[in-house]
Amino acid sequence: MLGKKTIKGRIGFAIAILLLVSFSLLPFAQILSTSLKHQYDWGNPSLIPQSINLDAYKELLGLTEAEKVEIPAAIQKILNNPKLSADKKQAIAAKYTANDNLFPFGKYMLNSVIFSVGAASFSLVFSVMGAYSISRLRFKGQVVIQRSILFVYMVGGVLLMVPLYQMAMNVGLASSLWGSAFCLFLIYIVQTLPVGMYMLGNYFRGIPFALEEAAMMDGCSRKEAIIKVVLPLSLPMLATVFIYCFIIGWNEYLFASVFLKQYPEFHTLPLALQELFVSKNAIWDRIMAASMLTLAPIVICFLFASRFMKGGKTDGGVKG
Amino acid sequence: MTPLERAEARFGWKLVAPTIAILGLLILYPLMYNVYLSFFDVQLNGSKTFVGIENYIKLLSNSDYYSAIATTSLYLLGTVVGTTLLGLAMALLLRDPFMGRGLVNAAIMLPYVAPVISVVFGWQFLFDPISGVVNYLFVDLLGLWSERSNLIGDPDSALWVVVLFDIWKHAPIAYLLILSKLVSVSRDQYEAAAIDGYGPIGRFFHVTLPELYFVLATVVLLRLIWNLNRFEDVYLLAPNVETLPIFTYYQAFTGVIDQGLAAATSVIQLGVLSIFIWFYIKKIMKW
Repeated sequence: MLGKKTIKGRIGFAIAILLLVSFSLLPFAQILSTSLKHQYDWGNPSLIPQSINLDAYKELLGLTEAEKVEIPAAIQKILNNPKLSADKKQAIAAKYTANDNLFPFGKYMLNSVIFSVGAASFSLVFSVMGAYSISRLRFKGQVVIQRSILFVYMVGGVLLMVPLYQMAMNVGLASSLWGSAFCLFLIYIVQTLPVGMYMLGNYFRGIPFALEEAAMMDGCSRKEAIIKVVLPLSLPMLATVFIYCFIIGWNEYLFASVFLKQYPEFHTLPLALQELFVSKNAIWDRIMAASMLTLAPIVICFLFASRFMKGGKTDGGVKG
Repeated sequence: MTPLERAEARFGWKLVAPTIAILGLLILYPLMYNVYLSFFDVQLNGSKTFVGIENYIKLLSNSDYYSAIATTSLYLLGTVVGTTLLGLAMALLLRDPFMGRGLVNAAIMLPYVAPVISVVFGWQFLFDPISGVVNYLFVDLLGLWSERSNLIGDPDSALWVVVLFDIWKHAPIAYLLILSKLVSVSRDQYEAAAIDGYGPIGRFFHVTLPELYFVLATVVLLRLIWNLNRFEDVYLLAPNVETLPIFTYYQAFTGVIDQGLAAATSVIQLGVLSIFIWFYIKKIMKW
């Protein structure tokens, strides 16, 4: 169509593709490149580091050996004070020698995994049930539910942040650490559930009903027919929906910042990275390495899921 | 109703009940509660005093609100036009199979799936006044500007960086939607148009564009719907670009906190969003 038959057309086509791919990948290349560069090399516009620097990765993954930190003389004086109890001395010494918790990346990653995998699992179970119901069973009110799902699917989190926060405050959840974490968990389920319902509903409609009917004639109940026939047939789609929900949770920043900002030990990766960026510990190579490590699970999931994402994904436009 | 139908209905309700409960409690109820809150002076700790429509009066006499509306309008205009055009260009370019199309596809989908939080740092580095490639390219190499500037630090130019970022991130979606329609346009139509004497450009305007009219409208509406409430992509890349969601966030959680005012902003925004969704449902879904 674009006159690819002539040499000129072919070269033009190749250049266009090259530009497009570079535009898409340049920021990723930049992140990778900076994460591997030494500080003196940052201002160099070339993407290839002059020499590879893996310190940032080692540090984030906890592979560096703990350095012995010298206790300042003034502090040493306090420690030598015989009036101080042994407990207090130890606490002070620990405070001044601790250097391993600059940025506990592993902990944040674990938090992120717990929140996003947990929420995606719940979401998947509920959306399988709900999507089967609205796509396969006939009952009054089904159409209304189906349309409401589309509506809530399109309502952004921004419109809900004030009322959800106030609700959490009213029932007393927002003032405790576990309460806040629980709220965030529920919110992640809510944010992913409509997407899952939407994607699975479309998919279930495409499975011939005759298959379930045959199973039921063989003596299966409806429930058994779902578990033994519909779910195995939908496995690729279930995986896709799960990954999709996982990605939403993994990427979420707004509600994490509303509910967990004052609880550093529960920070998820987006929140922790943003805090790192605005803190005095912001060093480009460390930030970029952390970005790279945040990115990696998503890219792996995506490469895995893209095989299944051919059909159905674009129906009605996915969230984003 | 036969007993069988009744059993089916009961089973249907049972399956969908948890979903309705969760979505009702945590989306529909909060939306209504938000309207209620917008008539109160709301503190962060939850205490409220009724103030009537004072929040709305305060909001409508606040010049920052109007500048947020203006910023949001520019943001929407830039992202909708940019994403649609780039998506269309990508679809036209990648329509026919060629060697390595799978790889190219994976590469251009990557911005869409990547976590916002990690890619914003890449972008920030690209636009960094000291080390960034963009300044190097435009100042040192091409000499278009006389001196290096902090494009993200200045809210006026940051808006366009944020727009470009959104186009980069969401053009893949537009591309997928447009491509799925484009591949269904039959070859015969192009041949017929070629016989009528149309060149490639004429064929684009007389065959491709009319066929894509509907899907382009879909893309535009979906971009409007999603981008009206876009928070992370803007806030994390350039917190100084105050679109409506960022304006609301600042009102609700930073500085002089006024959650009632934030609620009022959200109510108005929900109204606008509902119009977009209504259009989408009427014109695209055809309910």
